[in-house]
Amino acid sequence: MSVLLDFAHRLEDSAIGSAIAEGRYAFPILEGTHLIGLSVAAGLLFLTDLRLVGLFLPEVPVRTLHRQLQPYILGGFALIIIAGVLVSLSEAASLVVSPPWPFKFAFMALAGANAAYFEFVLARRPGALPDRGPLPLPVRAAGFASLSLWVLVIICGRLIPYMPQWS
Amino acid sequence: MSLPEALSALQGSRIAHTIAGSNHMVIAVFQIVHVFGFIFLLAPSFLLALRLLGRVLPDQPLEGILRGARRLVLLGLAMTLSSGALMFLTGPLHYYANPAFDLKMQLLIAALGLQALIFLVLGSRPGIPLPVARVGVSLSIVAWLAVSVAARAIAFV
Repeated sequence: MSVLLDFAHRLEDSAIGSAIAEGRYAFPILEGTHLIGLSVAAGLLFLTDLRLVGLFLPEVPVRTLHRQLQPYILGGFALIIIAGVLVSLSEAASLVVSPPWPFKFAFMALAGANAAYFEFVLARRPGALPDRGPLPLPVRAAGFASLSLWVLVIICGRLIPYMPQWS
Repeated sequence: MSLPEALSALQGSRIAHTIAGSNHMVIAVFQIVHVFGFIFLLAPSFLLALRLLGRVLPDQPLEGILRGARRLVLLGLAMTLSSGALMFLTGPLHYYANPAFDLKMQLLIAALGLQALIFLVLGSRPGIPLPVARVGVSLSIVAWLAVSVAARAIAFV
């Protein structure tokens, strides 16, 4: 833990970390970008997940929705990651001791694994994504898992300022 | 009764005291509901804008997308407005004095009006000229983003 904390302190004291922490506008702008990127990328991902579960646009073929929204989702995630990393640099030492922070990354890793499984295994099975009618159970389960995991990621992220340390 | 007097009375009310005096995790829950509400509000609006601009689902009838989007936007509104009102109760006078909050409320009224207009017009007159619909829906996205920027600024001014 102390190795991680030392590293976090060094990140915070780096030129870019302190510039973001000390500038008047950098922090709010980056945090705002993180939040807006989130509502676009995670929001459009939620729409895709809701379609997989069967709760949104059931008349739209799932392949079409998934393929056409993907560039916006990935672009939005790139924006969130860049803004998120920059914000983290400026408060690295308080982040690594915050309880929700490791959970946020654990849920992100699980969500990533679920997305990879969907993309490279499930969606490639013949008949996995019919244009109409109910989707196979594993596909619906993957949509539900994605939805739940990203909800947990966002909850953990929002809890960071409210739960600064263990105990 | 003037607005500051009304807010002062609200601040002194039992419900305001209960919320303001509650555990800080209660406020965290309001914040989380507020963020998810905003996601449910913005994502379908963004999908609708992309559809009208011809970027996604160009072959799908607008009617179905409009229906699905409307349901999620209403859910998002219910979540943001209720959690927002509860957070406001923690300090009505404090928020009233905050210039970013004032700006957010003005932008919110504009964004809500625009969003309602879009759903009403597109729902009742599908034949509306496409450029008009495109300008309307793009303006509504800009308005929602402006609301969120002003909202983020509340904590910093």
